[in-house]
Amino acid sequence: MRIHPQTLRLIALGLALLATVLFFSTQIDSYLSPRMFTRITTSAAVILPVAVGQALVVMTRNIDLSIGSTVGVVAYLTGQFLGLHGDLNPVLVAGLAMGIGGAMGAVNGVLVAWGRVPSIIVTLGTLALFRSFLVQYSDAKTITTASLPQWLVDLPQANAFSIFGLDVRVTVVLAMCSAIAMGLALTRLRAARRFYAVGSNPDAAVMAGINSAKVVFVAFVLSGVLAGLAGFLFLAKFGNITVVAGLGFELKAVAAVVVGGVSIIGGSGSMIGVVIGTVLVDTIDNSLTRWELVSEFWRDALLGMLIMAAVTVDTVMSRQLGRIGLKTGPLKAGPL
Amino acid sequence: MICRAAPLAALRSLTGWIPPVTAVPVPLFPTPAEPVAAVLELRNIAKSFAATAALKDMNLAIAPGEVHAIVGENGAGKSTLIKIMTGVYQPDAGSILVKGASVSVRSTQDAQTLGIAAIYQEPMVFPDLDVAENIFISNRAQGAFMNWKQMYAAATKLIEQLGVTVDVHRAASGLTLAEQQTVEIARALSLDVKVLIMDEPTASLSAHEVARLLGIVRTLKAKGVAVIYISHRLDEIFEVADRVTVIRDGQHISTRPIAEVTPDGMVKDMVGRAVDIHAVKTAANLHGASVLRLENLGREGVFRGISFDLAMGEVLCLAGLVGARRTDVGLALFGIAPATEGRILIDGAEVILRSPAAAMAKSIAYVSEDRRKMGLAMALPIFANVSLASLGKLLGAFGIINRTAEMAMAEKYRKQLAIKSVSVRVEVGKLSGGNQQKVMLAKWLETKPRILIFDEPTRGVDVGAKAEVHNIIRALAKEGVAVLVISSDLPEVLALADRILVMREGKQAGIMDISQATQENVIRLAAGTDVRGAA
Repeated sequence: MRIHPQTLRLIALGLALLATVLFFSTQIDSYLSPRMFTRITTSAAVILPVAVGQALVVMTRNIDLSIGSTVGVVAYLTGQFLGLHGDLNPVLVAGLAMGIGGAMGAVNGVLVAWGRVPSIIVTLGTLALFRSFLVQYSDAKTITTASLPQWLVDLPQANAFSIFGLDVRVTVVLAMCSAIAMGLALTRLRAARRFYAVGSNPDAAVMAGINSAKVVFVAFVLSGVLAGLAGFLFLAKFGNITVVAGLGFELKAVAAVVVGGVSIIGGSGSMIGVVIGTVLVDTIDNSLTRWELVSEFWRDALLGMLIMAAVTVDTVMSRQLGRIGLKTGPLKAGPL
Repeated sequence: MICRAAPLAALRSLTGWIPPVTAVPVPLFPTPAEPVAAVLELRNIAKSFAATAALKDMNLAIAPGEVHAIVGENGAGKSTLIKIMTGVYQPDAGSILVKGASVSVRSTQDAQTLGIAAIYQEPMVFPDLDVAENIFISNRAQGAFMNWKQMYAAATKLIEQLGVTVDVHRAASGLTLAEQQTVEIARALSLDVKVLIMDEPTASLSAHEVARLLGIVRTLKAKGVAVIYISHRLDEIFEVADRVTVIRDGQHISTRPIAEVTPDGMVKDMVGRAVDIHAVKTAANLHGASVLRLENLGREGVFRGISFDLAMGEVLCLAGLVGARRTDVGLALFGIAPATEGRILIDGAEVILRSPAAAMAKSIAYVSEDRRKMGLAMALPIFANVSLASLGKLLGAFGIINRTAEMAMAEKYRKQLAIKSVSVRVEVGKLSGGNQQKVMLAKWLETKPRILIFDEPTRGVDVGAKAEVHNIIRALAKEGVAVLVISSDLPEVLALADRILVMREGKQAGIMDISQATQENVIRLAAGTDVRGAA
């Protein structure tokens, strides 16, 4: 049986995660503990929705760099709103956060899809814009845990279920739900297959009668909505929200997506890959802070290296595949 | 794989030989050609871009289930016509009728709904998706949820209907060009297409694949689909078309049943004057000293054992079937895909060519077949393309490019090669295929090459421009340039070459002087005496 290259990639990714965990378990005391499990999963839970949204955007051959600021703005606005209306239904609060995120994503989507401005430019602009808005709007005031309702403060400690003595938090379940829902949609929903089509060959998508602009717009809105969910989880996890909330999330999200095997030139990728990629990136991130041999200031450098390594491996792999004839060569179509 | 039909198809493709029409009797429409209920009709369509009129008063009527060929020189307006029929462009004036009712086609979705679809020379597939999904991606009748099992079954059935075999689970990126086209045709069929436009579908196919595609065209016709077939290969048109429409300068010139058409008459309509399509061989040039010598040149797994001498003023043609790896020899000589065995000698001294820069330093130029990918910067104006390979000689004080000299250089070639454009400031992407070819040639001529490699110099170029390009090549040889021409077009090879090297399956099958060369013995060498599949 022929193993699909994507499957091969997922297996390699799983092995990389295993190797990382094993490596750090020899370096850090009491690493393989339930506490470390909870620590890494709850931290990854904040990144995962952002990575899921990012994956969608990258699949359409675009990128969303604004999400770090989106997370920050959503966390701040939602926290501020809760300070005034603390009795709001929790589901509505999450809905509000996702709505704010979606509106911010729509700004990106309109400019990229119909304004025809390259997504890297648009989202680089909104990355700065949203952050500046937050700085201006917050007037350097911090949202504190004291102003938040008790259910939200308790949420990060709430346990959904335990398995083998490991606690799985509600926030982790929420984040996983976003990935699973998106994964199911991408394989079962006909409309969702268009994300792949548009990224795989935009010209062909137009010729096939697909409204590419609409597809790209929806990808950005969903990225915003999921960043909104992450903003909500961020607010719950940290409670204290300053103007730097969510700073640098775009780097982690892009790293998780690329390491998770979503092709940076669009058209392919799976949610399983994104989940494993997120866990791997966050495991490394969390472990480095505890590793005495290396300064924690190397964390960003390592993330950057991880992105480059993943893309390099992909490029080399697809070139090798081209050589054995699984893909058409770069210079010309095959001899037949 | 042994295939009995292949040698015939190979012969047809190589020689331009027209087989007698035997298959389906040609349905005769009442003349003057105005079928009763046209499935698609264009009336007085006009379209201009800036000051240039691409179409003026174009009329066309397509009958249900006919194969309607459209021919015309490059720049005659064929591309614009297709884009209007498929909703990419909106006409400035005139009307489009589907089954007698006036319609507006504002997008490709509109065209699809009306049952009009098009396939192109470069297939429009989604490389990351599998065959079945490629077929059904935009099919609205499929429901909101994916039913993979049913989709694979339906895709298999559609592909089978076309009389070919393609695994519907495979990703489109691994398919050959011909298979990708099949996928596109299946997609059109799944959308219940009434009119299928095929734009130069065979330009990059091997003889065997061409035969299969023409088979598919007949299948479509039998299903009642009208096919608009656009091709420069006249032999194909005589093989499949029921009627032929000639367009010239954006206008309708003639529409005739195929039985009333002769190749000479068709070409005369296309260019507006009589052209001798059977190129006359000029006397062989006087050859000087050997410039280029190959000794058992090879590239691992691609080609091997290529040996020849090329003298100043000589034209050597590499002939062979598609897949004989002729282009790879050219790529090796230009350092793009370097040779791994054997020797290359220039003026008797061995050279190592590992990059285009190294080859250019040895005065080698390569005019590639793929203008878009390897030849031209489409978004840049003519002058910038012409000067691209020889910017060094345009540098003035402080290394700044002398724009006046650059323009003068381009202007010289515009006149010399008769590049049809208002000025050298026009973007190359806006020129017709033949004129793009001339711009690319100008770029390399300016490097004053001693060895000039042409890869399919007249592919996608119309008959009129073809003769011009041939004259230019002969003239260059006369000036002492050593010319290597890679061509699939046998009449072209016989018209241009002083000597012919025939390749088969990556190996040198033989080399002969033009005085001994005939169509038959070249084909025999190219296809092999054991008469196996064409590709």
